[in-house]
Amino acid sequence: MRAAFAILACFIAASLVRAENHITWEITPPVCGPGQPFRLQVRIESDDILGGANQVGREIKPPRGMVLRYSGQVFRANATEATLNFSGVAPEEEGNYVLPAFNARFPSQVVLVPAITLIVSNKTGYRKEGRARAELVLPERTFYVGEKIAGGVVMRGSEQETVTGSFGLECEAEGFTFQTEGSSFTQPLQDGLGLMKPFDLTPIRAGQSEFSLSGIMLVNTGDRISSLNISGRDRPFNFRRKLTVEHVPETGRPADWGGSIGKLEITPPDLSNRFPEVGEPIKLKLTLVGEGNLERIIAPEIPGTDTWDIALASELRQRRSEGRRTFIYTLVPRLPGDLKTPAVRFPTFNPDSKKFETVEFVSVAVKVSGNAPAKVELVTIDPSAKVGTPAAKMITGLLTPTVAAGVKGVAKIEPLAASQPFWLSNTGALVALLLATAVISVVGYFAAHPEFLIRRRARANLRRARAAAQDAYRRQDYAAYARAMTQGLRTGAAPLLKAEPLALTQSDILRALPTASPTLIEAIFLAADGEKYGAKDPRQTIAEDAQLQAMLNTLEAQL
Amino acid sequence: MSRYLSLLALWVLGATAPLQAGVGEAAYERGDFVGALQTWRAQAEADGVTAELLSAIGNAEWKLGHKGRAMICWERALLLSPRNPVALAGIKHALGAGGTDRPTQTWSENYAAFLGADLWLILGAIGFWGTLLAVLVPKLRRQTMGDWTQRILITSATLFALSIPGLYGAYTLASRAVVRRTDVPVKLTPTVLGEALNGTAEGDVLRTGRKLNGHTYVTSADGKGGWVKSTELEPIWGGALPVNLDQPRAP
Repeated sequence: MRAAFAILACFIAASLVRAENHITWEITPPVCGPGQPFRLQVRIESDDILGGANQVGREIKPPRGMVLRYSGQVFRANATEATLNFSGVAPEEEGNYVLPAFNARFPSQVVLVPAITLIVSNKTGYRKEGRARAELVLPERTFYVGEKIAGGVVMRGSEQETVTGSFGLECEAEGFTFQTEGSSFTQPLQDGLGLMKPFDLTPIRAGQSEFSLSGIMLVNTGDRISSLNISGRDRPFNFRRKLTVEHVPETGRPADWGGSIGKLEITPPDLSNRFPEVGEPIKLKLTLVGEGNLERIIAPEIPGTDTWDIALASELRQRRSEGRRTFIYTLVPRLPGDLKTPAVRFPTFNPDSKKFETVEFVSVAVKVSGNAPAKVELVTIDPSAKVGTPAAKMITGLLTPTVAAGVKGVAKIEPLAASQPFWLSNTGALVALLLATAVISVVGYFAAHPEFLIRRRARANLRRARAAAQDAYRRQDYAAYARAMTQGLRTGAAPLLKAEPLALTQSDILRALPTASPTLIEAIFLAADGEKYGAKDPRQTIAEDAQLQAMLNTLEAQL
Repeated sequence: MSRYLSLLALWVLGATAPLQAGVGEAAYERGDFVGALQTWRAQAEADGVTAELLSAIGNAEWKLGHKGRAMICWERALLLSPRNPVALAGIKHALGAGGTDRPTQTWSENYAAFLGADLWLILGAIGFWGTLLAVLVPKLRRQTMGDWTQRILITSATLFALSIPGLYGAYTLASRAVVRRTDVPVKLTPTVLGEALNGTAEGDVLRTGRKLNGHTYVTSADGKGGWVKSTELEPIWGGALPVNLDQPRAP
């Protein structure tokens, strides 16, 4: 019986517990201009299935001057949430207008929506009437080479002329680089009647130059051409402004300044493991946020210490518009104990205050366990890298240079291969060697074959003898003719018989000239040597000059 | 007279006294990189450049943000001393943290870098002449090769054969240049209005090829080829201190 009562009590208690409702709302825009249309969305979340709301419009009592209409419910069957949409027009006077609490009646329950306040202000830039116009948003100050200037074109519309888009943005500015996030990237203004086209401008040289920006915005004039077509028109805009650019001042510039210009802020350093062992790599993630040329900052060097080996493991590249930059370092503890990660400073130049400022990532306490090894090698592999990816490049830092004074160096670093004397001397030596080789070879050849020179010499002597004979023939000097002709025959026959010329007799000549006339040869020898032996008249031999010349020719041809 | 003599003595002392040692290092240590650079530059102009001096100037230039000048100095220091630790560390640092690119060296270039281009050429010349003389001299003397001649021939021929890859590697290493300007476009054609294929940054080392129309054909570290204006490059060989590319001030 007692158990039955307990079960009944539980059942009654469960049925008496009311469902908890959670109600939120959103007004778009959050702050309205006088007479500006707005949208109110009320979201109800319940523990029960809600279903469709009934007669919501009748429950609402908007304040004086405000028009509000219930425009429907986003309905989903068997859902425990409901979204009620209202559209309205803000009052014409500034102030806070309270929409009284009202009931939303659902089939399962009645939900009380609390009072909602609408703020109406003239400062929203909302215009009920007027032409759409474009405004250039660019700081009015001196710019610095290398900084990133965030600018934009605000295209404001009105109820009559709504800006729906823009295209053809062009910039003409010498000494600047101009970048946008993309032709389609625009941000809607809060009042929903205009657009904002952001851009980045980076000066690349000092001086004064004219900045010119032009483009076209698409304006919806609201004239209805047909049931499906609403008329619109292109409206161009153009801005010109003189900009002054200077270099970042050198006075007060920190030595470790890495080119950062802007207003930087730091986030707390993120350490992958606060309780590593000796030699176990951990990752230190440092993230910079803020306005400035974050993408141009050079990763600072963190030199290794007695307690840490440090390497720049990787760098998270964010999109330019994200306004943050992250450097990740790999730290390897060398020694056990309570250590602190090194503090990292980022000097930056603030273009507004025109001064250098420094942000610093503070040290993080780390408790290192294990024993101190004799030597801890610098880690070469990023522990977070996927398998198969190449190891990250390591930082070793610059070594401290030492320069000895008074050491003579070279005026110009040129290779020996570019030296003309080197090649000239080598070429000269090679040519001389080849010439010497050729000469020695020729001389050696003639030394090995002396017959060439002997015959050559005999040929020359034979020609001289023939010339002497011809000369004697003209002078009718019979004895001289016979001597010259005999000498010619002896000289010509000697190499053929490998004998000395003076040793040759008539019979020897006949051995060299078998076809010659023995009588004629004997006659010429007798005429030449006739004085010794009582020779015949040598005139007879002169008469045979043609035959004798033929003999000499035969001998010369054989040489 | 004594006044003139003392002036002469002062002039002689001033002209012959070496630059004070350690001034540049001290300036570098306390972060005065401009001061260090001025000191070392003056020393280089007075005494010529050495590997130590060039690597020190490279460090100072790097600290001042002149990537191109720094890389030129370090590369030239390695030409004078292939294992100069400061230059090697500087190039390693520039490749790792500085974001510069440098073509990966081929095996023949690594081989050539072991001794240096000049030493390879000298060894090659010795090997060539040794081989030639060992072959020719016995022939000219009409003698057969003796033991010592054969040893000289084998040694010289081996030396010559070993020097050939070194000479080839030194030749390809010499065909490199450093980009001296920021954001230099690599173009499809050697023309002023040539289409930009990709870009290189200051301090990048490129392999260079033929020249045409004021442009040089280059190959980047990732193997992409194209044309770059010759004035935006500085060859590694053939200079001492980096060329000053800044525009002179108007009078």
